[in-house]
Amino acid sequence: MLDLLWHGLVNIAQWKYLLPLFAGTFIGVIGGSLPGVTITMTVIVVLPFTYGLDPLAGLAAMTGVYVGGSTGGLIACCLLGIPGSPASIATTFDGFPMSRNGEPGRAIWLGVWASVWGGLLGALFLVFLTGPLAAIALEFGPWEYFSLFVLAMAMVAGLTESSLLKGLISTAFGLLITLVGHDPIGSVPRFTFGSEFIGGGFPFLPVLIGIFAFAQIMTDLEKLNLPHGHAPESLAGIRLERFSHLKVNLEIFRQPFLLAWATIVGLIIGILPAIGGSASSVMAYDQAKKFSKTPERFGKGHPEGIIASEASNNANVSGSLMTIMAFGIPGDAVTAVMLGAMTIHGIQSGPLFISQNPDLAYGIYAAYILAHPCMLLICVALMPLMLRVTSVRMAVLAPVVLVLCVVGAYALNNTMQSVYVLLLFGVVGYVLVKLGFPLAPLILGLILGDQIEINLVRAIMTDADPWLFLTRPISGGLLLAAAASVVAAIWQHMRHQNRVIEEEPDF
Amino acid sequence: MSIGRDGIAGLILLAISLVLLVQSFQLPSLPIVPVGPGFYPAIVLSFMAAGSALLVLQDLLSHRAPVVATAPDTPRRNYRLVVIAFAIVGFYVALLPLLGFRVATALFVGALQAALGRPRTARQWAVLAAIALGTAAVSYFVFERYLLVLLPRGAWTGF
Repeated sequence: MLDLLWHGLVNIAQWKYLLPLFAGTFIGVIGGSLPGVTITMTVIVVLPFTYGLDPLAGLAAMTGVYVGGSTGGLIACCLLGIPGSPASIATTFDGFPMSRNGEPGRAIWLGVWASVWGGLLGALFLVFLTGPLAAIALEFGPWEYFSLFVLAMAMVAGLTESSLLKGLISTAFGLLITLVGHDPIGSVPRFTFGSEFIGGGFPFLPVLIGIFAFAQIMTDLEKLNLPHGHAPESLAGIRLERFSHLKVNLEIFRQPFLLAWATIVGLIIGILPAIGGSASSVMAYDQAKKFSKTPERFGKGHPEGIIASEASNNANVSGSLMTIMAFGIPGDAVTAVMLGAMTIHGIQSGPLFISQNPDLAYGIYAAYILAHPCMLLICVALMPLMLRVTSVRMAVLAPVVLVLCVVGAYALNNTMQSVYVLLLFGVVGYVLVKLGFPLAPLILGLILGDQIEINLVRAIMTDADPWLFLTRPISGGLLLAAAASVVAAIWQHMRHQNRVIEEEPDF
Repeated sequence: MSIGRDGIAGLILLAISLVLLVQSFQLPSLPIVPVGPGFYPAIVLSFMAAGSALLVLQDLLSHRAPVVATAPDTPRRNYRLVVIAFAIVGFYVALLPLLGFRVATALFVGALQAALGRPRTARQWAVLAAIALGTAAVSYFVFERYLLVLLPRGAWTGF
């Protein structure tokens, strides 16, 4: 295993891989640092650039974006008090107060170094645990896969911030989109209404770009040209004070338990399908506060808060990569795009991925590991530039990102049809956002739709007994977990409603 | 009994799922597969129909309950700008096959920038034009020349 990893590291250190990795990490850091530009959007924008590259170079670039974006978000957190990306949300709680206390450099570099160490610790798990996870996945039959996909969707729908019902409808809507076109078993046309436009179904990536990137930009445009009475006091334009990298690292390693625990929290949340970096950073922050000897200092510029949040969101990346490589299930929207990129490059991820493509698998591990020093180098060299980037106007950013979205959709198969699909789903995505439907379940439904159907039909073709879904231990356990996830979400929602009613004043 | 936004959304989704559900029952079955191509869509659409019906019901019931006061200081949203932005994107997509990528992109980036923040001075107009032309040129060179992605040619312009 270590031989393969070493080979992967030597392989990725070649210019043809190192350059895309470095470029991806750079774009990730910049994209992550721009408030309103999510990591998903950045990965989507970078995707068309990888079409012409070889698979490992393309995936190295995407891995770089993922790692860079997870760290870049902390810059806006610390300087503007706005999370550059949702994954950095908990960094804002202490990063911005620390900057306001006159230590923006300490806040940023604590975050950057905690990201590096959290990410590298996560890499250990990625390298050593993905294989055993894939071995477990090899034991899965179509029943278990079907149940696992159902669990993934139930968890995503249940963990959405808005209503559970809307989350479930959103999942079903995502599945519905995959039904259009030819059915995957017998190639019978379904819901095409005789139209050539949708005869082949909706291409996955233009739909994804439309629903996610377009809808996000349009939502950001709503807030443009309005009085910024709600924006927190900004520190943009401030110069970083003198600081010592050694001192910052000592500060981090003085609390090894905090670093390790935050990493494990991030990793576990990364492995669980589609919970995401924002949940991991908030959960690690919450845990750090609970275990801390000085919980009263949290929220006032406490270094422990920054370390926990940043170590966790970078470790989250390794957890998500583990799920995608072992099971072929995207852990979040970013890995969903990466899964799409793998398909474009002709790679089938899943339990056999590592054994059938060891060079590629260990190349991805190596890219993930090397992305961290790259990210550190970029932050050290370009921090002054990045401080200016956070103030790029949306009026400039939006048209450029939209052009890249259009190119990304068009370049997929060089037809305008993909662009029309992009526009159509841009409108659909925006309408759904405005109606309060969460997009994450929709995207998971969209990604897993075909696989769910194939595994369901395959299971029935193998044995027509429907009880097998429940009586096979792993499958039954997974379905039980899915039901428990929905019940827990309902219970949490009801508890929240009751609390709101109790807290309402009596007039 | 009044119906809210969720209720209307639920009704639309319910109608879509019921229409498609009827269609899914009409799909032909295959001799070699124990379940036909309509089996899985019927499950998904039934689930969606049930969820949509529940959403309508939830919305109707919520209108009976006393209304909780919303936060008064929620900032207003600029929906006009969103409609304009969608219209400009629509024009861009329509013009792409007619004017070609380079011309359509330069026009699109310029128009959208002007719509999002109207330039007031000659210098601001120059910056806007530079960004518009720069975006078209850079994306053309990177994609078409470096990554060998053939971008749309214009039926009217010939390039």
